[in-house]
Amino acid sequence: MSGRTHTAVLSPQERTKNFGTFVSNLDDRTALYEASRCLMCYDAPCITGCPTAINIPEFIFRIKSRNYYGSAKVIRSSNIFGGECGYVCPVERLCEEKCVRTKLGEEPVAISLLQRFAYEKELPRGLVKFEKEEGKKRKVAVVGAGPAGLSAAYELAKRGYSVTVLDSNAKPGGLLLYGILPWKAKRSVPESEIANIKDYGVKFVANKPVAKVRPLLKEYDAVFIGTGSNTATRIGIPGEKKEGVYQAQEFLASVARYLLKEGKAPDVKGKRVAIIGGGDTAIDAAMASLRLGADRVYILYRRSQREMPAIPYGRQQVREEGATFLYLTSPVRIATRKHGKALTCCRMEFGPPDASGRRGVKQVKGSEFTLEVDVVIIAVGQKPDEKMLCAFGVKRKGGLIQVNESFATSIKGVFAGGDSVNGGETVVRAVADGRKAAEAIDKYLARKRRVN
Amino acid sequence: MVKKPDISVKFCKLEMENPFMLSSAPPTCTCEMIMRAFEEGWGGAVTKTIKLDKTPVYDLDNRFGIMAFEDKQMVIFENIEEVSKRPLGTWLKEIRETKRKFPDKLLVGSIMAEPKEEDWEELSRAVSEAGVDMLELNLGCPHGMPERGMGAFCGQRTELIDMLTKASKRASCVPVMVKLTPNVTDIALMGKTAEEAGADAISAINTVLGLIGVNIDTFEPLPSVDGKSTFGGMSGPGMKPIGMRCVAQLAQATNIPISGIGGITTWRDAVEYLLVGAQNVQLCTAVMWRGYRLIHDLVDGFTNYLSDKGFSSTSNIIGKTLPRLTAWSKLNKDWQVVAHVDRDKCISCGLCYVACRDGGYQAIKFEQGKAAEVDEEKCDSCSLCTLNCPVPGCITWKRVKK
Repeated sequence: MSGRTHTAVLSPQERTKNFGTFVSNLDDRTALYEASRCLMCYDAPCITGCPTAINIPEFIFRIKSRNYYGSAKVIRSSNIFGGECGYVCPVERLCEEKCVRTKLGEEPVAISLLQRFAYEKELPRGLVKFEKEEGKKRKVAVVGAGPAGLSAAYELAKRGYSVTVLDSNAKPGGLLLYGILPWKAKRSVPESEIANIKDYGVKFVANKPVAKVRPLLKEYDAVFIGTGSNTATRIGIPGEKKEGVYQAQEFLASVARYLLKEGKAPDVKGKRVAIIGGGDTAIDAAMASLRLGADRVYILYRRSQREMPAIPYGRQQVREEGATFLYLTSPVRIATRKHGKALTCCRMEFGPPDASGRRGVKQVKGSEFTLEVDVVIIAVGQKPDEKMLCAFGVKRKGGLIQVNESFATSIKGVFAGGDSVNGGETVVRAVADGRKAAEAIDKYLARKRRVN
Repeated sequence: MVKKPDISVKFCKLEMENPFMLSSAPPTCTCEMIMRAFEEGWGGAVTKTIKLDKTPVYDLDNRFGIMAFEDKQMVIFENIEEVSKRPLGTWLKEIRETKRKFPDKLLVGSIMAEPKEEDWEELSRAVSEAGVDMLELNLGCPHGMPERGMGAFCGQRTELIDMLTKASKRASCVPVMVKLTPNVTDIALMGKTAEEAGADAISAINTVLGLIGVNIDTFEPLPSVDGKSTFGGMSGPGMKPIGMRCVAQLAQATNIPISGIGGITTWRDAVEYLLVGAQNVQLCTAVMWRGYRLIHDLVDGFTNYLSDKGFSSTSNIIGKTLPRLTAWSKLNKDWQVVAHVDRDKCISCGLCYVACRDGGYQAIKFEQGKAAEVDEEKCDSCSLCTLNCPVPGCITWKRVKK
């Protein structure tokens, strides 16, 4: 049995009609078949490929034995966002990349599909609940209700702490709701898992941006910062800050707000959209534009297809949906015209490899050309909001919050994790950070208790 | 050019174009079916068991069950079906017609009656005179019929095997083959009894008595007949080891031809049966699952096998493995090997490590991402790792002097 179970995908025409998920899940039969492909390796490498170290062979074995709820329990015990991660993890470069089946020249076991399957089986019965420790008097504030913050909040609440999460948005979820669009995961997935976290007694305070951290320590015994990384990196070309030029994160957040009925959709209907960047965010922006009715979508990337960091699956999907990739193409300037924008680009070519072995690219002389578009979306990277971190008063390094191995910041009692510390990683990494930071906070507060 | 091997066999001096027969079962329910199978290329067929009209036979609705791996990879098949319900006269008419249309195919009439000599004589006479090439006495059906003194009830009693074989031999004008049940303590004794009573051949095995499963939601045993069930006959790939063991034991104990039955799906299975002493083979379950068309690969694969191995005919391989089957006490205690891992082939799955650690002798060292290593001092050469390893040829045997 070597063939991976493939699931039906809607046609490009069908899936661009709305923002719904377009990959169908495994059913009982195909899940059993796929689960049987797991070799059940000892000390399995896939586990090391997962930042939250889910015991993957164990949860797959439980699907095979049709102990579905037990399977979900294995996942949830390591990752409180196990369902969402099953939908959004770039497994191609995490667990599935490590799958030993690939060493036999086969496709890896479809771990993410099995993880989703376990979640879908868990849902009707109610998400798995773990025993909560007895109430402790200590209070912890969590700043930011994204995956890192919520993961930390859950771990602390489960340990008996009184936890309050403060967030600037109307709903808790952060990136899960305002960054990830629902074709990857239905809204109900993060919502169910956030509701589950609330059930542990976590309190949410919405529309509450936090300006300074120190004052929180008067009311709380410890603080966790998980404010993410949601500001776009600038390219530094003329015209970048003009109207009609979006930062990808801001563009995707406004699409998300529109879908959550909190705002209007960005106006790209019937328009020509150019997206600059080669990561998953660029792909997401392209998919969103196509679904909002963009007439034409270009994705510009300064290197070749081979170097493109976006996962191949997403690239294939968006290409099928009609996006055009322009490789070895770099923006030079954006000029505003009477109707639309003139995006001047130049062609790039490879130079010799640099110290890291990565080949540098340089402009091809005289290769400038102009792309007539209406909207430009910049998706070349992200970073935490520098002003915000500055106001927090924690020590920073390279624009990120500096923490030690225990996720402790320069302010005693203040911890941080997730994208605000690592610059912009995966959801699963943020969940793992939140959990580890919570463990560190627990230890810190236990020590503090003894000292007092 | 290499001469094409001759895959025909002689069974009780009867010529068969190939050693593949359909056993007495649903695929031979009617002669219309048998004739279609003959047209497809089967060498012979045993009719579904024919009985006297006075013997009542019932069939239950929902009479099969399976044990299967993922995607319906069936391992064991269960049935609680009875013998043929069709009137004797219909069978006799159809047998005549079939032999007229297919004179060169081996048509065997399977029969069963209550353990009364006169009934077996009457049935043997009628069916043999209708023109079958051989009779097969069904002394093996383990479900339904034994409750009424038939099938395995007879095959489990030497005095009845003796009496009924003799009765059939007296009345039959064609060779008589006795089909045995594996649900006995010593099948060799049953085979010898049949041989001494004058049987011309033995067929083995009939199905193995078992219980295919229980529905853990409804608590019904399977196959569920309105909520209840009974023990049934197991067949299919999972039964092959039992069938082969019985055939080999019978081959060791008797001197009459054996028709091998039990879990044969491909020509490879058939070759194994022939190697341990069967002179032809019978299939049922595989055909019920995939149809008569299986005969094409059976014939082609078998022909290619003989030719690849340099054999000129089927008879070259019959019983070839038998001299190598001996008592445990006669196996070579001085033959010593240790497991050896091919470092280049190892995929570091750790399966050999965990199997050896928890089911063996803690002789394998393993570290994630590295090739497994065998501690030759500790290796007890049990072979668990070799069998468990998912990579072909990765863990092999190395001869050592201990």
